[in-house]
Amino acid sequence: MDQEFKTHVETKVAASTTPLVRGASAMQLKNVSVAFHGRTAVRDCTFDITKNRVTSLIGPSGSGKTTLLRALNRLHDLTPGAKVAGQIMLEGTDIYRGDITVTELRTRVGMVFQRPNPFPTMSIYDNAVSGLRFNGVKKKAILDEAAESSLKSAALWDSVHNRLKVAASNLSGGEQQRLCIARALALDPEVLLMDEPTSALDPIATLKIEDLMMTLKQRVTVVIVTHNMQQAARISDDCAFLLMGEDRAGELIEFDTTEKIFNNPIDPRTLDYTLGRFG
Amino acid sequence: MSDITELDTPAEVGHQMREEIRQISVRVRARRQLRSRIMVTLCAVALAITAVPLVLLMYQLFRRGLPVVLHAGFFTQLPQTPSLIAPNATGGVSNAILGSLVLTVYAAIMAIPVGVLAGVYLAESDSKLAAVLRVVAQTMAGAPSILMGLFAFAFVVRALHVGFSAIAGSFALAVLMLPVIVISSEIAVRGVPSTLREAGLALGAKPHMVSLKIVLPAAVTGIVTGIILAISRAIGETAPVLLVIGGGYINSWKPLNPVSALPLLIFEDAKSEWPSLRTEVWGIALVLVAFVFVLSLSARIWASRKQQAR
Repeated sequence: MDQEFKTHVETKVAASTTPLVRGASAMQLKNVSVAFHGRTAVRDCTFDITKNRVTSLIGPSGSGKTTLLRALNRLHDLTPGAKVAGQIMLEGTDIYRGDITVTELRTRVGMVFQRPNPFPTMSIYDNAVSGLRFNGVKKKAILDEAAESSLKSAALWDSVHNRLKVAASNLSGGEQQRLCIARALALDPEVLLMDEPTSALDPIATLKIEDLMMTLKQRVTVVIVTHNMQQAARISDDCAFLLMGEDRAGELIEFDTTEKIFNNPIDPRTLDYTLGRFG
Repeated sequence: MSDITELDTPAEVGHQMREEIRQISVRVRARRQLRSRIMVTLCAVALAITAVPLVLLMYQLFRRGLPVVLHAGFFTQLPQTPSLIAPNATGGVSNAILGSLVLTVYAAIMAIPVGVLAGVYLAESDSKLAAVLRVVAQTMAGAPSILMGLFAFAFVVRALHVGFSAIAGSFALAVLMLPVIVISSEIAVRGVPSTLREAGLALGAKPHMVSLKIVLPAAVTGIVTGIILAISRAIGETAPVLLVIGGGYINSWKPLNPVSALPLLIFEDAKSEWPSLRTEVWGIALVLVAFVFVLSLSARIWASRKQQAR
């Protein structure tokens, strides 16, 4: 493991009262910056996303949470003028290295968006297996099995198994979002990025998604951006707090276990934010 | 307002102000209601002015056209030239109906694939070429349709030695339809939310797959509406086919044969010295209007069904 990263963890460990015992990393961020047309949106983020845990990114609007999240599956690649600096490692390999196939990377790092966005012209079944089809899987037996298992994983199978051929747009907002989760899970990703996945949903649908995340982390590492601090506290194991700096670029203020971020943070600004004094 | 300061208690000040505001709002409301009535009346008059010529046109079309259409053999027979012995023997217009159909079908086959793909390209690319193509399409959309006819005459009939033929006419109509299809396809594709594109990319789809499997199906309602608009325009055009189709008097689907067309027949018959042929024009016009009406109606029904399925 890199020297730089070790020192980062060591300072955190030294500062905390209880030593941190961590599993293997799913992704590591080292001095990650994202700029659009030369204007920095997030600067110098260094932290570690641990396997089978839920890592939340919190912070006020404009602090660069979503920008940082979208760097993790190279979704900025198609934005003109976007530039990502630093290193983002997935299983020890820099995902921005020249020989990395971006389409393959995105099958390993899945994503769920803020608003449910199932493909409106496709049925529930076709949505669930769309990722596999995009990647060339054609065998019906494989698709059928993947559809069933991913819909089950997203806790949607029971309510849709007898209407798989119905258009996905007939589902409720919460069901649509779970279909989007199933769609991502069908590719069996290692990491699942979630960009405010419940902000467009009602409280009951939100709870269902949160429950789902708690069970999902046994098979996939979850990184979630959320505006909702109670949500971050409820579901995440680790927490990164970002804030907009003086030059309007987002910065990582603190990264630690969620428990420490909410109960005993090092930086006074973290405490101010989690107590709702600003943002 | 100036005497407010002279009032004694804050309560009185408040009362005075509320009274003043009420009086103002009563005045303003009365003025606005009057203005609103005038505007509504003006709009209604404008609508009536628009509707009058349309109603008169439809009335004339049915009054004079319906007897012609109902006359035996109108749809099935070939045209005849009246003679002094039989001045009312005009025959039918089957060749022109089939000709219009043939021209439109071939034109659609040529224009739709090229137009839709070009529209997708314009929407998905921000290259210099796309910018130039967009200007070309917009200019072509406004170009006089006789130009398409001249171009087809010079290029297909003469330069390629194809001669007067259905294919030359459909070429002219295809060139006419192309910009309409390109522009409406571009608008439809641009209307597809970027979140759908991102969803596809995030599932590891390659950009061309996102365009073909996600964006194009999501834009299909707008694209088809544009295509039907283009077809309805093309089917009624006289100028582009005037110079190139040759006005054939046989029923044939062969692309190299000369054909007739409904608008062309109207143009020819209206100039005829036989009153019977000049009357027949109304029947042909009625058929043409019915064609366009059915087309645009089916487009609307189809689009609204598709919208409901979402």
